[in-house]
Amino acid sequence: MSITMTKKTKRSIFCWLALSPIICIILFPFAVMFFTSLKPRQEVFSFPPTWLPSEFIWQNYIDMWHATKFGNALLNSLYVSFSATLITLLVAIPAAYALARYNFGAKSSYRLFLLITQMLSPIVLVVGLFRLIVWLGLIDSVNSLVLIYAGFNIAFAIWMLQNYFHTIPKDLEESAWMEGASFLQGLTKVFLPMAVPAIAVTAMFTFINSWNEFVLALTVLRTEENYTLPIQVYSLVGGRYTVEWHHVMAAALVASLPAAILFSWLQKKLVTGLSSGGVK
Amino acid sequence: MNRNLPLYLILPSLLLALFVISYPLYELINLSLSDVNRFGKVRGFIGLENFTYIFEDQLFIDAALRTVVWTVAVVGGTILFSVPIAVILNTEFYGRGIARTILMLPWAISLPMTAIVWRWSLNGEFGMLNATLMNVGLIDSPIVWLAQSATAFPVQIGLGILVSIPFTITIFLGGLSSIPIDLYEAAKMDGANLWQQFKRITYPLLRPFINMAIVLNVIYVFNSFPIIWVLTQGGPNNETDILVTYLYKQAFSFGHIGQASAVSIVMFTVLLIFTIFYARMVMKNEK
Repeated sequence: MSITMTKKTKRSIFCWLALSPIICIILFPFAVMFFTSLKPRQEVFSFPPTWLPSEFIWQNYIDMWHATKFGNALLNSLYVSFSATLITLLVAIPAAYALARYNFGAKSSYRLFLLITQMLSPIVLVVGLFRLIVWLGLIDSVNSLVLIYAGFNIAFAIWMLQNYFHTIPKDLEESAWMEGASFLQGLTKVFLPMAVPAIAVTAMFTFINSWNEFVLALTVLRTEENYTLPIQVYSLVGGRYTVEWHHVMAAALVASLPAAILFSWLQKKLVTGLSSGGVK
Repeated sequence: MNRNLPLYLILPSLLLALFVISYPLYELINLSLSDVNRFGKVRGFIGLENFTYIFEDQLFIDAALRTVVWTVAVVGGTILFSVPIAVILNTEFYGRGIARTILMLPWAISLPMTAIVWRWSLNGEFGMLNATLMNVGLIDSPIVWLAQSATAFPVQIGLGILVSIPFTITIFLGGLSSIPIDLYEAAKMDGANLWQQFKRITYPLLRPFINMAIVLNVIYVFNSFPIIWVLTQGGPNNETDILVTYLYKQAFSFGHIGQASAVSIVMFTVLLIFTIFYARMVMKNEK
C-alpha cells in the first residue's frame, strides 16, 4: 500500500512540474486583471510597474460600474444571450428529436447542411449579414444579434442534443403513447423531463457563445446604450487617448467570471458530451 | 404516425438557419460581382473585377500568406502542446481535477477580453509581462511588443495557441478515455517503456482525434478575428493583417464593399474545402 502511495505522489509531483509553465501562462492574465483592477489610479501608470497595489482599492469596482455604464451593457448581454438561447432551443429540440428518433429521406442531407453551417463563422459572412440586418431595419438593435446568434448556434445545438437524445430509451415515450397519451403529452410529460440535463448543457453553451461574440456586435451596434459587454469593454480601450486600465481590468474580470464559473462546472460534462458522439 | 412528422420537426430550424446563412451568402455572391459604392449601393455587374482587384493588391497577397503562417503555426503549436498535456491530464495524480479546471480556463474567457487583458500586460512601459521578464532576468530592457510586427505577430500566434489548447485537450481527453487500460498493462508486461507505450498504443489510437482536432482548429483559427483586431488591428503598417482583418478593413474602414465580398467568397471557398474534409472524416468515423 505505502509503495503505491509514494508512486502516486512521485507521479503527482512530476505531472504538476510538467504542467507548471502552461499553468503560469494561463493564470498570468488573471493575476494582471485582479491586481491592476485594485490599484490606485496613479499607481497603474507608475514605472517600473509592481504586481501588488500599495493598497487594495475595492472602490475601483464601484467607480468602474458607473464610469463604464457596466450595468447597461450587462443587461444588453443578458437579454441577447437569453433570447438567442431560447430561440435556439425552441427550434433545435424538435429537430434533434427528429434526427435521433426517426429515419427519413432527408436525414443525411440535413446533417450535411448542419455541418456546413457549423463551419461558417459570422466574420466570413459579415458583409452579407450586415446587408441582411439593414434590410430588416435592425441596425443598432440588439434584436438583430439575437436572430443571428440563434441562427449560427442551431447546428451545434442540434448536434449536441441529438447525441444525448440517442441515449434516452425510446420505450419510455412509446409506452406512454400505448397507454393513450397524445403525441405531445408523451413528449412533454415523459421525454422532455429525461432530456433536461442535455438541454441544460446545450443551453449553457449557446448562452456562452452568444455572451462572448464580438465581430457582429462590433459591426452592428452603434450607440453606447445598445453595447453588449465585449463591445463596451473594447470601446474603453480601442481608439482612446487615455485608457483607464484599472477600470478596464475590473470590467473584464467581472464580465468574465460568470462564464468562467459556468465553464469549470461544465467541464466534466463537456468531455463526456464531446467524446460520446460529437467527435466520434 | 404521420410520415411527414420528422420534416415538420426539422422545419423551424431549417428555415432559421437558411434565413441567417443563405441570404447573406446570396448577397455576398451578388456583391462580389458588382460595382458597389461605399454606401452599399449596387451600380451594376462588373464580372470578376473585384477578384482581380484583390489578387493584384499586395496587401491581400501578404495577408493571405500571413494567414497561412498564422493558421499553420497556431494549429501546429496547439497540437504539439495539447498531446502531452492531455496525456498528463489522463494519468491519475493528486489535484488532477484542479489542473483540468485551470487548463480549461482560457476557453471560458471570451477572446476579446483575453486580448484586452494581454494588450495591457504587453504594454511596453507599464505592462506586467516586461516587469516579470525583467525581474527573472530574461530581458534587460522593456520590449515594446505590439509596436513592431516582428514581436507582435509571434505574440499573437502564442496567444492563439494558448486559447486553442482547452478545446483541443478536451477532444484528446475524450479519445484517451476510450483506450482500454488492458493494452497498457499488456505492454508493461512485455517490458515496453513509457515512450514505446506512447508510440505504439497512445499515438495510433489517438490519431483520428488528432486529425479531427487539426481540421476543426484550422477552421476556427482561419476565421479568428478578435486576437489580432484587439491587439494591433492588423498594424503597424498592415504587417499583422490576416484575411479576416483585411476583409473587415476593406468593408468597414474603406467602404470597398465589392472587394470585401470577393474576399469573403475566396474565404468561403477555402472553408468549404476544409468542411468537405471534415464531413468525410465524420462520416468515416460513423461507419
